[in-house]
Amino acid sequence: MTENSTELSQLIICPKCDALATKPTLLAGQKAMCGRCQAKLFEHKANSIDRTLAVALAGLVFVIPAMTLPLMGVGMLGLFNQASLVDCIAVLIANDFYVVAICLFLFTIAIPIVRLVTAFYIAYRIKRGRVKPHLLRFFCSYHTLDHWVMLNVFLLGMVVSMYKLLSMSQLTIGFGFSSFVLLLLCSTLVSVTLDQHAIWETLEESREHKYG
Amino acid sequence: MSISTAKQLGLGLCPKCHKVNKMHSAKQCCSRCHSSFHQRKPNSLKLTMAWTVTAIIFLFPANLLPMMVINTLGDRDASTILGGIDYFINDGVYPVAIIVFVASFLIPLAKIAGLILLMMSVKKGSKLTVAQRARLFHFIEFLGPWSMLDVFVVALMVAVVNLGFITSIEAGTGSTYFTLMVIFTMLAAQSFDPRLLWDVPEDEQ
Repeated sequence: MTENSTELSQLIICPKCDALATKPTLLAGQKAMCGRCQAKLFEHKANSIDRTLAVALAGLVFVIPAMTLPLMGVGMLGLFNQASLVDCIAVLIANDFYVVAICLFLFTIAIPIVRLVTAFYIAYRIKRGRVKPHLLRFFCSYHTLDHWVMLNVFLLGMVVSMYKLLSMSQLTIGFGFSSFVLLLLCSTLVSVTLDQHAIWETLEESREHKYG
Repeated sequence: MSISTAKQLGLGLCPKCHKVNKMHSAKQCCSRCHSSFHQRKPNSLKLTMAWTVTAIIFLFPANLLPMMVINTLGDRDASTILGGIDYFINDGVYPVAIIVFVASFLIPLAKIAGLILLMMSVKKGSKLTVAQRARLFHFIEFLGPWSMLDVFVVALMVAVVNLGFITSIEAGTGSTYFTLMVIFTMLAAQSFDPRLLWDVPEDEQ
């Protein structure tokens, strides 16, 4: 590697305002903020790989129950009906609301799963010391999908729906609901524990090692 | 203390992996993750404008057409977004009424107004300091997905409330327009490059 690129690796640029600074060395738990716009530059997270591995795996366990078990049900005059997340999408498709169905599928099922799987796979490979350059491409998708996870919005939607239904019928809450809350918790914790900065550096080192 | 920017020194940041790169050309590949990028998002203002205008157009059908139709014993009752809020007020659940009003009515309007203000400020300057405008943009980005609340409520109600003739709920055409409107405002916010706000001489910040 040339001298020039070593110099570059000691610099850091704020993604929000383009201010340039020399990269500080952080202790575990510390974070670096931009001096001009106060945006977070990067963070040194303690024990990131182990924690991510654990939380992502837990999240993946809750995926299937959260999607397929009934979230809530209503009863009235002896009739009863309940629905899961997958049922919601199926009903929307049956009623020709394709746009809403696709968005619901992407924001509450597909994108959260892809993020959990990516986080788990990367953490597993790094933990086992089997880092391959193709993981670089793989990890790119994680960052791009950041804004499009809407599990928290869907949870608030469920709470609002419950208030709507309370007044008109008997309401039951299913196991799907508790699984969904746990899934949301794991998905949020993955964003907290995953140290993107450290992962990129590990991936880069592995490639330099391979291609010299 | 004057702060030097990456642009002044011919450096650029890869938007995906946050690697500092030396810019050789307007568009180049990141030396770490090989995704191509520019020093600033190309055509940022034009794209933001285009998505914002599209969102404004969709704002009208989203609010005027019914979000959901409640069938009770043969009676059809279609309600728009504001109509749905009225329902909560009549029931006396004010906190929920406020949440729904803010998420599905105020936030989309505030996002569109905020983006227009930011775009104008890049072109013509503004009374707000750059730091204040940067915070405004951060806030707009954060609010993005929360407007989807009403769409999710409709999706749930349609699937759960399905008791044949006694009562059932159908989604209304407004929900499709509303979903698209929210996505367009999110795309508008993502097309905007906040670094453009800081690309002015330091005494004007």
